[in-house]
Amino acid sequence: MPRRYVQLDVFASRPGDGNPLAVVLEAQGLDDATMQAIARWTRLPETTFVFPPTTPEATHAIRIFSPRREVPFAGHPSVGTAYALLDAGLVTPRDGLLVQQGIAGNLPLRVHGEGAARTVAVRTPRARVQEIAAADDTRLAAALAGLQLGALPPVQMDGGRRWWLVELASEAHLRSAEPDWDAIAALAEASDSMGLFVYARSTDPVYYYAVRAFVGAPARFEDAASGAANATLAAWLAERDALPSSGGFYRVSQGREVGHDAIIELTVDADGEVWSGGRAATVVTGVLEWPEA
Amino acid sequence: MQLDVFAARPGLGNPLGVVLDAADLDGASMQALAAWLNLSETVFFLPPEAGADYRIRIFTPGSELPFAGHPSVGAAWAAAQLGLAQPRAGALVQQCGAGLLPVRIEAEAGRLLPFVRSPRARELARHEGPLPAGLEALAAPGIAAALWDNGPRWWLVEAASAARLRSLRPDFAGIAAWSNATASTGVAVFAFEDGADHQLAVRAFCPGDAVNVPEDPVTGSANAAIAACLHRQGRLPGDGHSYVASQGRELGRDGRVAVRVDAEGDVWIGGQVQQVIAGTLDW
Repeated sequence: MPRRYVQLDVFASRPGDGNPLAVVLEAQGLDDATMQAIARWTRLPETTFVFPPTTPEATHAIRIFSPRREVPFAGHPSVGTAYALLDAGLVTPRDGLLVQQGIAGNLPLRVHGEGAARTVAVRTPRARVQEIAAADDTRLAAALAGLQLGALPPVQMDGGRRWWLVELASEAHLRSAEPDWDAIAALAEASDSMGLFVYARSTDPVYYYAVRAFVGAPARFEDAASGAANATLAAWLAERDALPSSGGFYRVSQGREVGHDAIIELTVDADGEVWSGGRAATVVTGVLEWPEA
Repeated sequence: MQLDVFAARPGLGNPLGVVLDAADLDGASMQALAAWLNLSETVFFLPPEAGADYRIRIFTPGSELPFAGHPSVGAAWAAAQLGLAQPRAGALVQQCGAGLLPVRIEAEAGRLLPFVRSPRARELARHEGPLPAGLEALAAPGIAAALWDNGPRWWLVEAASAARLRSLRPDFAGIAAWSNATASTGVAVFAFEDGADHQLAVRAFCPGDAVNVPEDPVTGSANAAIAACLHRQGRLPGDGHSYVASQGRELGRDGRVAVRVDAEGDVWIGGQVQQVIAGTLDW
């Protein structure tokens, strides 16, 4: 049976700038092994599968798979799936909100605007400070060698997955930084974290911070657009009272160093909840033919 | 669209991206799209020049290729299945970076079965002494490993049995070191296997060439090199001029590569193709 299928680029206004995602809009009848096989076959960072919700509060239910395993929650798949469902006319926001049912529970998504100007943001799981480190912490020394640090101290944040967040002195310095992959992998393994997430203030009129996310383990790569990691940065800035003054809203630029150019929008609301989102661009619209197990 | 090549049903073969109407895309756009799709290869159809029935350009996520087997098999299927080209007595001519290449479209049980002629393979070297990377333990006695070149360069290692081949846990670091030291693409290990629908089992390791895909699920060039090697030894399995190889089972796939060796000694590689995703592209 043919199923509606979409591939989109999330946190991007133009195809190619963001983080790719595949969405199977009608996944009824697919079992876990089949979903995993499809996600392996698409070779994209994540593939999501949409089901009818089983609770009245939810507008849709999703399962998220990387090529290797099921993921309980991830930012860019949640945002992209909601965008695809809105585009296909399969969901209608209630008071500007969608509610996604997933294995991490129900999560709200806020929808702004229409068409190409539409943005979707997901409320991210609460992040907390795991540990604040001194700038000269020996565990960080190898990974931070050669980097000029900013004013805030290095911190390990836990937002489901853990990241070391390190402020750098300037955007120019951040963009030219050369990651030491052996040191970052060693840091990730020793601290049970994803790796190193660096950020620097920008004077650009569009974005307030520029960021780069170096995943050290299990694979080593620089992420093009990290919804959840950016949400932990927003929580850290809120903790330090370092958010920009514009109502807890700011944008970050990520991915230029790996051939992308993503813009991610962060909002810290009055309750201290962090919303992570942005635009998406639809690249492939079609149908998927895959036999049920 | 996205196809699954060398597959009897979706998910068993090697994926391929296909853009049917690429006349308005330049090379940089094709490269960017191929990188974004992240498939091992994506092909772009362009208007053919004189002497060709269809024209493609082939891109990996990182570069353009003059020729590759699985993209050509998938492109031939798309051209015939969708009516982009009309075979004459089963023959088509594909234009690609390597020039004009003959293609055959056969029919089997109502399905199109495309074959592409592989570039001539030649033997470059033989390995003396025990094989590195733990391969000596499974090698068939008395048969030296040989390095063959048909564009890619594969070390061909015959295993003593299919059981040993299928249970091999490859030493990727050792294989990468051997490949890099000998300027080769990787190592293709094969064994005769008396299967219900195949006569040869194949695994192809290329950890030095493709760090993120250290074992390739289904490999046209490696299968063509093995066929050339066995043909020269007069040891082709099957009926002596055609056989089917099984590859990819150890990776959760289960590809089938149909191999033909013609009267001139040329090797043809083919297989079933499944259409998995059909749709439109905005780029």
